[in-house]
Order: sequence, then structure tokens, then C-alpha cells
Amino acid sequence: MCQIMQNSIIVIADHIDGQVSPVTYELIAFAQKLQTSESPAIKVLILGAEILNSAREIAAESGLEVVGFEIPPMAHYNGELYRNVLTEHLLAAPPAFVCIAHTSPGLDYAPSLAMALNGACIGGIEDIVPAEDGICFARPLYGGKVMAHIRPISATTVLTIQPGIFKPCQHTAETSGRVAVRPISIKPRWWHSLGVKDGATDTAGIAQADVIVAAGQGFGDRENLDLAHQLASIFAKSAVAGSRIVCDRRWLEYGCQVGVTGATVSPRLYVACGISGAIQHVSGMRGSEFIIAINKDPAAAIFQVADICIVADLMTFIPTLIEAYQNIRDSGMGSKLFSPIPQPGST
Amino acid sequence: MVLFMRILVCIKQVPDMENPILIDDRHAWIQSDEISEYRMNRLDEFALEEAVLIKEAFSGTIVDAVSVGPDRSTEVIRRSIGMGANAGIHIATGSEGYHSSFEIAAWIAEYARGKTYDLILTGAMSEDNMQGQVGSMIAERLALPCATAVIFEKIAADKNTIYVEREIKGGSRDTLELPLPAVLTIQSGINTPRYPSLSNLLRANKLELAKIPITDLAQTASREDLVQMVYPQKVRAGTVLNGTEEEKAKQLIRILRERALIP
Repeated sequence: MCQIMQNSIIVIADHIDGQVSPVTYELIAFAQKLQTSESPAIKVLILGAEILNSAREIAAESGLEVVGFEIPPMAHYNGELYRNVLTEHLLAAPPAFVCIAHTSPGLDYAPSLAMALNGACIGGIEDIVPAEDGICFARPLYGGKVMAHIRPISATTVLTIQPGIFKPCQHTAETSGRVAVRPISIKPRWWHSLGVKDGATDTAGIAQADVIVAAGQGFGDRENLDLAHQLASIFAKSAVAGSRIVCDRRWLEYGCQVGVTGATVSPRLYVACGISGAIQHVSGMRGSEFIIAINKDPAAAIFQVADICIVADLMTFIPTLIEAYQNIRDSGMGSKLFSPIPQPGST
Repeated sequence: MVLFMRILVCIKQVPDMENPILIDDRHAWIQSDEISEYRMNRLDEFALEEAVLIKEAFSGTIVDAVSVGPDRSTEVIRRSIGMGANAGIHIATGSEGYHSSFEIAAWIAEYARGKTYDLILTGAMSEDNMQGQVGSMIAERLALPCATAVIFEKIAADKNTIYVEREIKGGSRDTLELPLPAVLTIQSGINTPRYPSLSNLLRANKLELAKIPITDLAQTASREDLVQMVYPQKVRAGTVLNGTEEEKAKQLIRILRERALIP
């Protein structure tokens, strides 16, 4: 009968192409918030084909013990191997929590790992909510319009944590944690990887823009995207981007997509037009300096992350905005009425 | 050697997200009564379309559509038949309320067990529960291979294996091969979902759906408790501009000028 290590917490490192993803350090910070005085030290696991350097990096940065599983056939992500290797290792000493990043691989193996460990699986966590009856985890529902506080009822719980929410543990620890690498001899039965196909999407246009006008499904039709282009043209160094839905409908190229499966941008100004603001999109633009949101739904989730909220139908508001701007500019009154306040650092 | 394939597509009915979602007085759930419009979960449309495309490519293929939910869910099952599914199954929860991915997956897996589906498809994530777990959990319950966020698939001519591309990031894709039977969760953009045809819809309205109340299925203890529902907090100032559209436009122009974003 295996001992369940009460309160023990495991972090699974997120890495790609030999690089440890920054979210791994956010997971560690999350795990540290989860720790109680009775918790044993957090342990980090990393799986892959050549993970020694990455394991050492994490151990040096965090001061935590890192166990690496060296799996030669796994040069690329393999969901079956992640599930099988982790299950075998964790069943031997089941932890209370397994912390995984809410990213493409994490979303892929976390649910099956949870099932194999007979545990709950709570995904997309944005906050830890302490409670008398046991700790809860906050995650969005209904496109981000509401949050649910979920309490796991299982000895082992698998958690996937939303990137960009928990401040990463920054400091390089005084002493590096222990690193142990185990060679694993395993072949997948089912998942036969044929390699990674590189994406041809060119996001340079939006990644370099100072101002982005982002179009969501609120535009209704491909032709209406003209308004987004018109709005973008009143700004210098601007670009038009889109939400996933807009690109799925082929109104814009996928190279213009902002979001978790597209580009992450941080322009001086982001104007979100007709975008609902679910986390999949927000995660790609929350670092923008200034965010304006235009949406006819007053309860749209986008308004939670905006500096300026405009509840309006973009189909009438954008033309009104452009016309008002043109009137002020053409009348030559602009420079007298609205002399810009010099911003530090602006040219 | 598989002669005729059977595909199961898991469909969810979700509220139209552009309408208000209100929390009830006890913060226990949402006010379901206040929701006037429902539709098919967006990613499930792509899953269903992919199943119908496979049906068209491999003659003799049967596509079943299953949905877990209250009685209103039958609408999306009928829409699935309108899009080309052969038959529909309603796993009836009997009431509104929260069900975890684990419970939903357990019910679907119990229905599917022994029915020799060659392929089970789900959308990669639902717009309401936003977990993206049901497909993987069904696969685990049925001991089947699974790949998520599939953006391209091609079944081999002998129908024993399937080539799959999974979307990772920045347009890059994992490419792999799985044996059939398998479970795939489908990412948007894999195809362009068709509108239901009139003849299929007429057929859908006449067809009797198989109805399985959850009370007829094995009781699965939930592994989580929904303790409370809250509204999200603002992360930024969220200053609301008021007035007519012209007034808001002028306020906005002033703000943009103050920040030297426009001359």
C-alpha cells in the first residue's frame, strides 16, 4: 500500500526545443503559494530526450530538486509517453498536487494523467482561494464572464495553471537544487511521432506595430473589416490583427491572429473591437501598454482587462470615431484644443 | 479489416455567449432561466463537420451524434443530423446545473463501451466549461489512444491507422500516427462547417433520438465540488466612456491625444 505524501507538490516543467519555458517558473511560484508549513519541498520533474541542461537550469534558478526523465525516443512531445512515465513515477508516491502549465502539451496530457492517478483535474487556474473546508481554485467559465471556485475531492489533484498570471519566482537561489536524471527505456505503443512541422505564419506585421486594431466576430462579415483598416490608418505604425474566430472564418490570415494559439503582442495601443475577451485571446495581448475595448455587450469579458471601455456597436461607433477625428483634424482646431501632453520618452 | 467505419461525435449545447450570464442569489450556479439563446459549441461544429467529411470520403460510414445535457440539448443533436449525422443519442441530465468533465466523460464512455466506434471526436474545448478534458478522459476510460487540438487528419486507406497534425503554437504542428480506434479532439479551422440541409433537417425532426437518462448509467462520484461562482475582477482601470456615440468619440480622441498616440 503506497503512502500518500500529504501536501507534497510536484511541478512538471514546460519546455520546447531545449528551452525551458518561462511558465515553468510561474508554476513554481504557484506551487510555493500552495505550500503549507507541513508540505515537504516542492519537486520539479522534466521529461524529454536531452533534458540535463534544462534540469540544471531549473535547479539553479529555483533551488528546488529536479528529477529528469531522459527519454531518447521523445525528441518531440508525445502524449502517451508523458502520461505513462508520469503515471508510473507518481503512483509510487502519489502527491497531493501536480502542477502543469495550461499550454498545448499540458492540456493534452493533464486529463489522462489525472484519470490514471484517480484524481481530479482542474484546468486553466487563475487564482488560489483558501477556504475553511479546503483549498479552492478559481477558473473562468462562460467565456470568462464568470469564475468558479472549485474544490478538489481527491487525494491527488492535477492542476493546469494559466500562463501569465502568477509572477514567476525570479531570484537565482543561493544553492542549486539537487539534479537527478533517470534514463527511461520506453517505446510508445500508440503515438508514433513523425516530427514537428514548422509554422509558416508570419506574425511580423503585428508583432512590430505600435498600434494594433484587433477585429473580433463582432464585425459580422469579411467586408466589414474595412472599418478596422480605416481605423488603423489614423495611427502611425499600425496593423490590423484578429481573434481566432476571425482567422478561422478566413477574414484575416492566421499570421494576424492574437491569442494563445497565435501571436503574443504588447503594442503601445491595442484597440479590441467586437472581441469578447475570453482568456484564449486576452493571454496574447494583456501586456499591451494601453487597451481600449469596443463591444456592444456591456458584460463582455474584455472590459475586465481594458483601460477604456466603450459599450457601443462598432459598426456605427468606428465610423463616428473616424469622422469625428477627421473633422477635428481638418478644421485645424485640433492643435489648439488638444495640445498633446508630452509623454516621457516619446519622440 | 474494418469494412464500414462508425464515428461518434460528442456535441455540446452552450449559451450564446453574447448575452448576459448572471450568477444566482446563492452564488451556486448561473441563472439558467435567464438564458434565451443556445447554440452548438463552436469547436463541436468543426468536429461534426470533420466526421461528415470522413463519411463522404469512406462510403458506408455511420456518424452518431451524442450530447450530454438537459432536454434543450436535443436541439443540437437534431442540428447535427441536419449537418449529416445518421443518428442521435441524448444522455439526459434531467436538469440544469454544473457537471464536471469527469462525469460527462464517464457517461459518454459508458454509452460508447462495446459499440465498436472506430473514431470518437469532440471539440477541443467547450465555450462554457472551458476545460478541454472530456475527449482525453473518454479515451482514458475506454483505453484508447488520443490526440488533442487536431488541425488535420487523414485516415489510411486500410482504416487501421490515422495520420494527425496537432496545433502547437505559432502555426507549428506535431505530426503523428495513431492506430484506430482512437479519440481526437478537434481544433477550429480544420474545416469550414456546413449549414444543415433542409432535407436533413426534415429527417432530423422525424427521427427518434435514443434517450439515456443519467440515472440509468453507473453512478460516478464527482472528484470536485463547485463551491461558489463569482464575477471576475477588473485587472485595469476600466474607465467607461459615457454619452452619445459622438461624445464618446470625442472623449476617446482627447485621451488618444493626451497619450500622443494620434497627432
